[in-house]
Amino acid sequence: MPASDKSAAPDPIIQLIVFRLGQEEYAIRIEQVKEVTLTPDIARMPKTPSFVKGIANLRGDIIAVIDLEERFQLREATEELFAQTYTMAIEAKDYTIGIVVREVPQPLSVPQSAIEQTPEFIQEANIHDKYIEGIARINDRIIVVLDMLKLLTPTEIMQLPTSAAS
Amino acid sequence: MKNRILIVDDSFYMRTMLKNMLTDAGYEVVGEAANGQQALEMAIETKPDLITLDVILPDNTGLDVLRGIRQEQPDVKVVMCSAVGQEVIVNEALESGASAYIVKPFSEEKVLEIVGNALQ
Amino acid sequence: MSNREQEYRELFMAEALEYYDAMSRHISELERNPADEEALRELFRLMHNLKSNARAMGYTSIGEAAHHMETVFGQLRDGEATFTGSMVPVLFGGIDTLGELIRAAGAQQEMPDVQRLLDNLDRLTRGEEPNLDDEEADDEEDVSRKLELSDLVYIQVRKLDHLMNLMGELIIDRDRILTLSREINTPALTAAAAHFSRIADELQYSIMDARLVGVGSLFSKFPRVVRDVATAEGKDVNLTLQGEDIQIDRNILQIITDALLHLVRNAIAHGLETAAEREAAGKPAQGQLTLSAQAERDDVLVQVQDDGRGINVESVRRKAVERGLVTRAAAAQLPDAAVRAFLLEPGFSMAKEVTEISGRGVGLDVVKLAIDSLGGQLRVDSVLGEGTTFTLVLPTSIAVKGALLFELDERSYALPLMHTDSVVSLLPGSFSVVGGVLLTRLQDENVPVVSLRELLHLSGDQALAPARKSTLQGRQDIIIVNYNNRRLGLIVDRFLRQQDIVVKAMSKPLDTIDLFGGVTLLGSGQVCLVLDVPALTRLFLAKRP
Repeated sequence: MPASDKSAAPDPIIQLIVFRLGQEEYAIRIEQVKEVTLTPDIARMPKTPSFVKGIANLRGDIIAVIDLEERFQLREATEELFAQTYTMAIEAKDYTIGIVVREVPQPLSVPQSAIEQTPEFIQEANIHDKYIEGIARINDRIIVVLDMLKLLTPTEIMQLPTSAAS
Repeated sequence: MKNRILIVDDSFYMRTMLKNMLTDAGYEVVGEAANGQQALEMAIETKPDLITLDVILPDNTGLDVLRGIRQEQPDVKVVMCSAVGQEVIVNEALESGASAYIVKPFSEEKVLEIVGNALQ
Repeated sequence: MSNREQEYRELFMAEALEYYDAMSRHISELERNPADEEALRELFRLMHNLKSNARAMGYTSIGEAAHHMETVFGQLRDGEATFTGSMVPVLFGGIDTLGELIRAAGAQQEMPDVQRLLDNLDRLTRGEEPNLDDEEADDEEDVSRKLELSDLVYIQVRKLDHLMNLMGELIIDRDRILTLSREINTPALTAAAAHFSRIADELQYSIMDARLVGVGSLFSKFPRVVRDVATAEGKDVNLTLQGEDIQIDRNILQIITDALLHLVRNAIAHGLETAAEREAAGKPAQGQLTLSAQAERDDVLVQVQDDGRGINVESVRRKAVERGLVTRAAAAQLPDAAVRAFLLEPGFSMAKEVTEISGRGVGLDVVKLAIDSLGGQLRVDSVLGEGTTFTLVLPTSIAVKGALLFELDERSYALPLMHTDSVVSLLPGSFSVVGGVLLTRLQDENVPVVSLRELLHLSGDQALAPARKSTLQGRQDIIIVNYNNRRLGLIVDRFLRQQDIVVKAMSKPLDTIDLFGGVTLLGSGQVCLVLDVPALTRLFLAKRP
């Protein structure tokens, strides 16, 4: 392949949905987001990790709703989740799952090139880097782009032990 | 001592009917085979006194089975079961050592008469 | 109709439909490859068998049609003719006609006329051209006649399932609308909501009704199974069928098919003795096996009953101790019914020998799981030396279940009525503590009682803390659940009400938590967890102090 092709390769625009967790901005690819709604009534489900808020009825689908701030410990333990929150319904591999956020998530278009791979400083944060697709730098903003498919595997959500469950 | 009979027919319905008729008449049905291969195996295994043998079977013809059985067990009586219109096969079967034949659909009396005669 | 005639008729129908399916398959193969010898041989054989069987049954037109078809396929097989030209539509049409004839025989309806088909087949046999113009015109006539005659439609179960799911949604909306209409409280709205609710109810029952089939449609497959298994096992068995007309949801019947097969095979292989053993025990040589169904309130009871050797409770008791399922001391005190229930525990097997049909590990637990998945119950009764009866208590319909609603930590939960024994409200004085377990006396039986809250919030490998009477304040609302002959009391915050609920399966990834059989939506829009009694009971047994 001639070298000139590489420089001429188009820089695709990627559509993200940006939301706030703790003090930081996070994003997911728009195609993984099914819809955003006011958080419906959630039934707490015993025998699940505490960041699984419970299950909710989303237009007839019964989905699990999770709190990523709690999962990644981005909120002070004493601080409660706001009374009024939003839920993003995310398409995981073969099911839908809800993620609660404090503010209405916003769409954002960024060029593919703005997303940097394998950042090192993330190690300091509590997010294991295997969930991170990359870091988008837009002007002064630093947005962590999450790989939802990795984050939302049943093993991750249920924090199932690798050995046989009880 | 009850006479022991092996039924060979690929129709479950036919086998059931024959079995009921023969059992009711005091014979012991020692096995039911649904194809030629099974028939040959069960004939050796169960050593029946008499075999009712359908002329048309899924894997080979009743005639082949008849010849196979007679080779192994020359003493066993074989009654061929056929439908109308298979006189050619029936004649050939009688020449190959079959004792008698029954034409389907058969009546209970006819079956018992033919089987009884063959066993005498 | 005598039993035997009935049996012959069922055998004939089952085999004829099988033949018809195979004929349709083979003639399509022939269309792709007109010289396919295998297909020709099979078609000839199938026609031959159908002819013989139909004549024996007295179905003259099926016999005649099959005979004429057999003749043509015989010529094709022997290379005296080729599958081509005008012969093709006649033979295809012939197989269709056989299908209609067989179905008419099954429905005990008048047989369609086959003279035209016979004439055409005769022409083909003589090497003449069939009369096809007539055929087409008559086809149209056939179609209009069929429309007039048939009061039945065949429908795919998938479509009925879809209707049922939509119905479930509608019931949830009905409850929501009723709740709203009470809150808004406008006479016109209240009247409209009440009317809507009545229609929705009726629709629900009509859909459930459309899915019901006679238990006989499954039972009728058993004469053959019993015959085959009995032959393989060297047993003499007489099968009696009862209650074939009892109606049950088709999918429930589907789910219990394997369970029933398993029980019947077990009964023949392990329950019934050989003729010699029976005679030695002073019993008739022939073993009796009964498959019966009866309706009991909203449930259907299916029983598999044998008059065989019965279950030796003492050897089950011994084995349960060996397996560590129960201590020797506790085992000695267990009533027989509770001991027999061990047979249903995972991996517990009483089979002494490996047999061709039942194989090793005669897993009654598999049967139990199938019944549990339906929210049903499995019971074993047995008298040593006299026989064993397995009873399957099944719901008539899957989607709607009777449930008891209660409150815990300000959330509503539901418990299926199928597993609910009773509800009691008891003062602290009615309890005693034995070995760290809270007990109460109900109908002369000590029933363990546990706080549902504590049971649900145990984490991982934590065991329940020993119970203390001092923690009980005032009246305790307790639901007594029953699973596999074990009763367990669950302390809840408050009873709410009894209600029919539509259970939705738990969605992934939460479906790994077996404590919940699913969820239901209440009229208020609230999501309500449906507890799974078998899993709760198992959890209690594993976690008790």
